[in-house]
Formats: sequence, structure tokens, C-alpha cells
Amino acid sequence: MPAIEAVKLEREFKGRIKAVDGVDLAIEAGEVYGFLGPNGAGKTTTVRMLVTLLRPTGGSARVAGYDVASEPDAVRRRIGVALQEAALDPLMTGTELIELQAKLHGIAPEKVTRRGEELIERVGLVEARDRRVGTYSGGMRRRLDLAMALIHEPGVLFLDEPTTGLDPVSRMTLWEEVRRLKHEGTTVFLTTQYLEEADQLADRVGIISDGRLVAEGTPAVLKAQVGQPHLEIALMDGGDRERAVEVLAGFGAPRPPAEGFELAVTVAEGATEIAGIVRALDDANLIVASLELVEPTLDDVFVEKTGRHLEGAGEADEAGGEPGGSA
Amino acid sequence: MIRPVRALAGRALRNASRRPQFFVPMLVFPSLLLAANTGGFSRTTQLPGFPKVHGFLDYQLAAAITQSLLLGGVSVGIAVALEIESGFFDRLIASPIPRTSIVFGRLAATFCIALLQVAFFLALGLVFGAEVQGGVGGALLVLLVGAIAGTGFGGIGMSLALRARNASLVQGIFPFAFVILFLSSAFFPMDLLQAPADWVAAYNPLSYIAEGLRNPIIAPVDAGAVLDGLVAALGVTAAMTGLSVFFLRGRLREP
Amino acid sequence: MSASIRVLSAFQRRALNEVLRVPGGAIPGVLAPAIFLIGLSGVFGAAGNLRGYEGDFTAYILPFGMLQGATFTGAATGVNLARDIEQGWFDRLLLAPQRRSLLLLGLVSSAALRATLPATFLLLVGLLLGVSWPGIEALVIAYVLIMGFAAVVACYASLVALHFRTQQAAPLMQIGGFIAILFTTAYAPLTLQSTWLADIARLNPVNKILEGVRQGFVPGTVTWGTTWQALVALAAMGLVLGGLAVRSMRRTGR
Repeated sequence: MPAIEAVKLEREFKGRIKAVDGVDLAIEAGEVYGFLGPNGAGKTTTVRMLVTLLRPTGGSARVAGYDVASEPDAVRRRIGVALQEAALDPLMTGTELIELQAKLHGIAPEKVTRRGEELIERVGLVEARDRRVGTYSGGMRRRLDLAMALIHEPGVLFLDEPTTGLDPVSRMTLWEEVRRLKHEGTTVFLTTQYLEEADQLADRVGIISDGRLVAEGTPAVLKAQVGQPHLEIALMDGGDRERAVEVLAGFGAPRPPAEGFELAVTVAEGATEIAGIVRALDDANLIVASLELVEPTLDDVFVEKTGRHLEGAGEADEAGGEPGGSA
Repeated sequence: MIRPVRALAGRALRNASRRPQFFVPMLVFPSLLLAANTGGFSRTTQLPGFPKVHGFLDYQLAAAITQSLLLGGVSVGIAVALEIESGFFDRLIASPIPRTSIVFGRLAATFCIALLQVAFFLALGLVFGAEVQGGVGGALLVLLVGAIAGTGFGGIGMSLALRARNASLVQGIFPFAFVILFLSSAFFPMDLLQAPADWVAAYNPLSYIAEGLRNPIIAPVDAGAVLDGLVAALGVTAAMTGLSVFFLRGRLREP
Repeated sequence: MSASIRVLSAFQRRALNEVLRVPGGAIPGVLAPAIFLIGLSGVFGAAGNLRGYEGDFTAYILPFGMLQGATFTGAATGVNLARDIEQGWFDRLLLAPQRRSLLLLGLVSSAALRATLPATFLLLVGLLLGVSWPGIEALVIAYVLIMGFAAVVACYASLVALHFRTQQAAPLMQIGGFIAILFTTAYAPLTLQSTWLADIARLNPVNKILEGVRQGFVPGTVTWGTTWQALVALAAMGLVLGGLAVRSMRRTGR
């Protein structure tokens, strides 16, 4: 049975605004699923329905084997959630918040302190644990938020835009934690508007636009659907272009080069072919001045499916964003 | 100077009109207290020493107006403090306008709102049976004294905000506004106040403002009482406007 | 059951932070009723000379002040809930695998506990102003009623918070409580009130609660008749407003 399952999931708000319009999902246990889309696409509304904060107005969903509408308590017992806003009480310390969360999840008193300490250490907040959360940086709040979501060892974890607004170092730290969770067998449903994040972390990616799932698959398969990687090459002055074309014909199909380059060739195997190409050109006394590997991105996938870009599409959509949420 | 003052005053009035909850503390609470006081203490007009009045409601209107204007002043303080906290105030300071226009613009808006507040309570009183013994002229005098006093109270709020720069702190002043009010003759004749309220009330400008508001309502206009109220209101306004400008300049001088 | 108690105590602890960890956080709620008590005594004290007060004017209005403190506390609970909703903390509570009614119970029980602060402070101020000691029996009844009323106002304020989901609804939360306690025998006995106010006070269930709190101070004797009427009024309001608040809590997210 999938860990997260949705069938024609819908949410309509007042004014007949359909923020989520018939989304189907089937996410297996232990999978990291990236849910990608611009601002206002329906990501957060979908998450809020799956975690029982919002009731679907159509379709159905099951999480950890339980129906979100008719068995919400059972769902809540089995999921951990770190929402888009790391909503933390600024007057409480990190330790107090974790212990409060533990009590809310009914963890036995004798286990609360030990479990809390384990998690504080895991997310690297040992030195700050007795400080009030109001003094924490954005990255520290996110880490504490994650620790609170893990207090009861959930089998399914929902992370709603966990690295939005974080500096690169904090983002990397959080990525490491997600990889660790995957290694431990936790199912992770990760919403993000960052291509690289989905690319790096997700086993499979679902791309949502205007409330509908427009593409789904592994990042590699999705990107392969819209094209293959190619190599742009510039030769040193005086290089024999025609000779270079002959050499490159042995590696892949030629294609029009981009501005600033003289040659371009499709490389189906991607970066692994670069060394061979450079050696072959070198053997033919052709010196490479510069080269660039260009791979299709998930944005290219999005453009193919919707006609607009994923990154930066959020600004254009802001005027018609989701009611009550930013995604 | 006139143009930025008008622009800023217009902005403050527009913002107030878009937030109805802005008016709740300054209109609803005093109205509730007016009703409770009138209903509960109406028999006190029988006490020896209580002036002859058409009704206890007539006597209490000045208290309700004074209270409303004081709370309006606190609201101004909170609004300015929020602007400082949000950074909008810095935007005003960075604009090519005379800095004092920031103070005068806000106070000009406060004057207009104070007129509305006084008019509201006069109308409320008339609906529930009060009579303005001073006639139309008396009502206009009440409006004048009230509007100036309200502007002065707005100056108190503004100077607090410019000094504290924290909306929570300004909001915390709210109970103390009632302290000053209770230590005056706004609610009850000075001769019937208990010690030490009676002693403090004699020196409290609010007493004179309240008497200036009350006189045209409960009796034919007494120039002395109204003039005392006007002078007290003008004094508070001048002092608080000066203090606001002083605190604004102090803030601008900071590195 | 013990897990529920742990959850409730966790809520109490968090609610206490508002008082203990926010500098001056308790001042408005505790100081304001005291200011009103002292101010009203100083201003309207002469009214106590009118026949009908059965004693000291300050002793008469002290119970109103104690209920006023409970009103401030209950309304503040709603404002805090609205803030939690706006800032996303409330979502965290909704995600906990606990009954929604338990969440509400945590909020209102913390209001009930906190209401003892202004009530006690006011009692001390009253005693300093010369009010006679009401007796333990009367005080116990008074505190039960005060705490219960704070919980009732907290239910009402929570209802408003859940409906509007913004702190801007704070005045509405405060006004509801004020109207309830002002249109009673707050300042004067029925015989001295204007007819319209006396009629409203007779119908207002909060007046029964106020009289239950007052009985130890004025007339100074506790009677079962006054007490049970106060408790019934409190229970009825609690059932209605509490029921509506629980329903609203359960329907959040629909």
C-alpha cells in the first residue's frame, strides 16, 4: 500500500477558486517525493489536505494507510509536519518546545527527556537548547521545527518549503538531514520551488501548476523527455573547425552552437563523455579553449508542459495566488 | 509645508477610515461606560452639592467625550509606534518634506477625528434624551474645545511613540490614561470627590477641559468655564506638539 | 487520562509564560481593574451615602473589579489564540493527535488559573482601602465563580478568534465581556438604578454570578440561594459558549 495516496484530490475555496484540481498521487514507503511548482500552484493547499489541516472538497486521500477526512487522528499520529512557516513560540526555549511537542504526541514521560536530547543533538542545537527561540536565527528555527516534527518517529514526514529563505549553508545542512531520513526509511513529501532541491533530493518529482499535476517521474526521466544534454565547445584561435566536426561526429549528433561557442554536440551519457571528447580533440591537435555541458532542467520540463518558466513564474502568478497560503 | 501636512493628514484619515476597528476603543468603550454610569449613578444627582442638571446623562457626556478623546490619543500613539516599527516612518523622514510636517500632519488628522468623536457623543446624548442648554452656539463651543483637546491628547500619544518607538509600550499606557481621568472632575463634581482625588483634580488640566466641555451642555454658556477649558486644551496641545517635535528632532540627531 | 492531564499542564505552563516572561505582560490585566477600583471609589464614593448600598461603596464595587480582571484575562486568551493562528502556531496544535476539545480545555483552563492573579491583587487593594475580610467560605465561592467566568469569557473570545482568525478582532472579544459585566448591578443595586438598566440586569445571567461573588463583601453573608443561582448561571453560559467553541474548533479546516 502506498504511504501517501490521493485520488482526484480537490480543494475549492469561496468564490469557486479551485486551488487543487484533481491531483492523483501514489508515493511508496521510503520514497522522497519532490512536489515542485511556482507560488500559487497549489503545493501548500495539497500538503494541508494531506496532513488533515484542510478538508478536501473533492476526491480522497490516504496517508500512512488512513483516510485524511474520516480518520484524521490516526493520520496525525503517524505523520510529522514542518510547515512553510516555522511557527514556534518565541518565549519558549528549544528544549521546552520539544518537550511540549512530545507531550502533545503522548510520549511517555520517562522517554520525553531522552528523546528530546537525541533530537536536539541530531539537529545541532545543543548549545542553543536552553535559549529562547526568539533569539534563534532562521536556520536554527527550521532545524528545531524539523526536530519537533520527528519527536514521535513518524513514518511519513511532510516538509513544506523547508529551505525557503535560508542561507546556502543552512540549506545544505537540511538537505543532509533529508538524505539521512531517506536512509532511515522515512517517507518524505517535500514541497519546494527550487529546482536544484528537487533534483538533488527527490527520487521522484511531481510538478504542479494551477492546481493540476502536469508532470511526474524521476528527475532524469522527466528531463530526458524534453531533450538530452549537449556540449558547447570553443576552440583555440586557428583551430580547424571542420576537423573538429569530424571528430565529434563519433560521439553524438551535431547541433547549432550557442553564442560564444563554435561547436555543439549531443552527449547522451552527459558528463561522463566529456573526458573522451577532450582526448579525441587533443589527439587531432585541436585545443579546446572552453567547453560547457548544458543539461535540460526541470524548468525546461515545466516550460514544455505549461508554456511558462517555473523559476520566476511565481512573481507573475502572485496576483492570482492561493487564498490563505502562498503556494 | 501646507502641502505635505495636508497629504499626511489625508493619509492618516484614509487609513483610519479603512480600519473600522480603529474607532472601537474610542467610541464603543466610552459609550458602554456612559450607559453603565448613567444607569447606575443617576440617583447621585440627589446628593447635596450636585449641580442642578436636566439629567445625569447630560452631566456624564463631558466625561464620555474626554475619555473618548484620551483613548483617541492612545490610538494615535499606537499608530505612530507601529509605523516606526514597520520602517514606514523612516520612509517619511527620507522624503523631501519638512520633518515637522510629519507631526503636524498627524495632529491635523487627529483634530478632524476629534471633531467626529465629539459630534458622535453629542448626537448620542441627544438621542437618549440629553439637552444642550447652551443651544447651537454651546454645541459649537463643545466641538471646538473637544477638537483642540483631542489634538493635544494625540500629541501625548505621538510624543510617547517617538520616545518609546514600541507599540506594546504605548499600549501599556492605556490603563494610566484612566488614572489621569479618574483624578479629575470629568465624571463627578469636584466638591463630591473623595480625597486625594479632589486635591489632584484641582490641578489636573483634564478637569478644566471636562468643565469646558460640560458647561455649555448643562447650563447656559459661562464664558469663564469655557475659556478655562479652551486655555487648558490649547496648553496641552502646545506643550505636546512641542514635545513631539523635540523627540522627533532627537531621533533624527541619533547616529 | 494521565496523558490528557500532561497536555493540559503543558498548556498551563505555556500560558504562564505570557505573564512570567514578557516584561510588563501582566500589568494591563492586573493593574487596569485596580485602577478602575481606586478611581471609581475616589470619584463616585459619595454615592455610597445613598440608601441602598448596605455598606461601603468600595466593598460594593470590588466584586465587579474582580470579574473585570477575569474578563480581561479571558479576552486576552482569545487575542493570544488569534495571534497563534496568524503566526501558524495554532496549526502545530491542530496537528497533534489530541482531541480538539482538549486543546480548547487547555486554553480556557489557563485563563481560569490566570484570572486568580488580578482577583488576588484586587482583593489586597480592597483590603488596604478598608474593605472588610469576607471570610474563607465567601472567598472560595468568589474564586470559583471568577475562575469559571474567566473560562466562559475565554470560550467566547476563542469563538471570535476561530471565526475571524486575526488579532484585529481583539476589540470584539473585549467588548463582549465588558457588555456582559457592565450591564449588571456593577455600580449600584437594582433599587438605585435607572429602570432600563435594572431590567437588563435582572435578565443578565452574569448579574447572578456578580452577586455570588459579592455576597461575602456585601451584605457579608453567604447564602445557598445566591450561590446556587450563580453556579447555575455560570454552568449554563459555560455549556453554551463552551459547546459552540468546541464545535468551532472541530470545524477548523473545513
